[in-house]
Amino acid sequence: MQRRSALQRLIRGAALLAAASLPYGMARLTTPEARAQIRSPGRNNERNHIRPPGALKDDAAFVAACIGCGLCGEVCPPRCIRFHSRDGGEKVNTPWINPEEKGCTLCNKCMVACPTEALVETPLNEIDMGIAQIDRAACYPWVDRGICGACVSVCPLGERAIGFEMWNQYRPVIKDGCVGCGLCVEVCPEPSLPIWIVDRAQGTVVKHKV
Amino acid sequence: MGTPKPFFLWRHLNKLRWLSLSIVFAMLVALPFMHVYQTFTAAHAYDLLAPAEKQLYDVMETLTGVFTEDPAEDLDAIKGNTWSGSFFGLQLSDPLAIAGQMAAGLKLYAPFLLTALIPVLFTLLLGRFFCGWICPATLLYELNTNVSTWLSRLGFKVGNRHFDRRLKYAVLGVGLLLSAATGSVLMAAIYPPAIVGRELYYAIALGGFGAGTLFFVGTLLFDTLVARRGFCRYVCPGGALYSLLGRYRLVRIRRIAESCNDCAKCNAVCEFGLDPLRDHFGQECNNCTACIAVCPTQAMTFVLRPTDIPEQGPGHLGKQYLRAHSEKGSIDAAP
Repeated sequence: MQRRSALQRLIRGAALLAAASLPYGMARLTTPEARAQIRSPGRNNERNHIRPPGALKDDAAFVAACIGCGLCGEVCPPRCIRFHSRDGGEKVNTPWINPEEKGCTLCNKCMVACPTEALVETPLNEIDMGIAQIDRAACYPWVDRGICGACVSVCPLGERAIGFEMWNQYRPVIKDGCVGCGLCVEVCPEPSLPIWIVDRAQGTVVKHKV
Repeated sequence: MGTPKPFFLWRHLNKLRWLSLSIVFAMLVALPFMHVYQTFTAAHAYDLLAPAEKQLYDVMETLTGVFTEDPAEDLDAIKGNTWSGSFFGLQLSDPLAIAGQMAAGLKLYAPFLLTALIPVLFTLLLGRFFCGWICPATLLYELNTNVSTWLSRLGFKVGNRHFDRRLKYAVLGVGLLLSAATGSVLMAAIYPPAIVGRELYYAIALGGFGAGTLFFVGTLLFDTLVARRGFCRYVCPGGALYSLLGRYRLVRIRRIAESCNDCAKCNAVCEFGLDPLRDHFGQECNNCTACIAVCPTQAMTFVLRPTDIPEQGPGHLGKQYLRAHSEKGSIDAAP
């Protein structure tokens, strides 16, 4: 008799637990996995998908620390911070920047506003959102199809982040001081899309595989 | 002498509560507009705005111009939502955000912990007051209850099922476990106040609702079709955490048995399905004061004590009590 009641209680407890996980399943259903996460579960290496300045280097730690309050976006003067709102799976409601639409102006406000350690206040030189990468086969000055220099003139860091090639004063070259704010990506006028932000390890020049 | 009377203002607190809920909600709607206006001022490019944006700029300039010198800076005074926000330099967060983040990252971050200090202290004192007085989802849920009542009067079948109230504690526990397992603050995706604040921001400033809206509409349907105020009663993990914190709250509502006539209006009005009529408030009462406001004999009042007073039996003005006592031959026997 006692065994039966113990079994019943066990089943009831299991049903309660199953019911308790139901809302999470339903919330999860509405946010399909982001494509980038399938490709690389740890570090995000998709082009032009950058975290706000001062974000923890390890993307998993960043997602764990972010509570999805949206404060960083709400203080952003250029409104460049957007959120995984309808996608991203576990990363849902975490902030990111798409420099093709709006680049970061490095104003510091999001780092100050963030209540958690997801965005920590970082001096300008140490910010690492990625690095700009140029496709020299697509950039017009690099293939001698015009003069431009938009990316160089917009760069908020100037000389230490971007400059021109020594022998042709229109061909942009990214330097180590680049923090990956993405303003160059935003202003680049060329429809061939020759510049984007990538993870720092991938270098500043696209290596074409032939 | 005689039966204690509640302070006359207590029965008007419910109106104050509606005012407080409306103000919080109105702020959550206004803040994204203010932010959009701030981005316009920061860009210094009024001429490049679209006509609709110019209109917004002008309206916001008129509304906020009185209070601000430099909108791009001064309007930063109030930011965020009830999940986490800053209020004139004071950073406040929901305790559930702290709990979820601690579980997800498996570590403590002191500055963030401190942001929940004031809410936790207030909860220890006032119980689950957040649910009744501040939560922006409560406003929508209570309006939804009213709509359901109208619908049922029109003849629609409105759900009035009852489940195990402990389910929400299981939701809280499972949420913390899942957060630790996945390394992501999953409660944020199912916690209505967080959803409402965030989705309003997405919709107004970023041009579209996110997935949370779908979930929130689902909870509204659940409340209408399955159980009255069902999400808050049975599912909400934040409500569970606040209930646990407010278990020994100091400020609670009590019934004055001497002036109670057992009409049970308090039980009918209680959004959380508690039993004020028989003194069973428990840890889940959110001090919303709806029962004080509805009581026709002023038999509900506040009391300062860490536990509910034990059950007092039927109200002294009720038929049950009068019948029992007239048999003993009291002077004013009921006819």
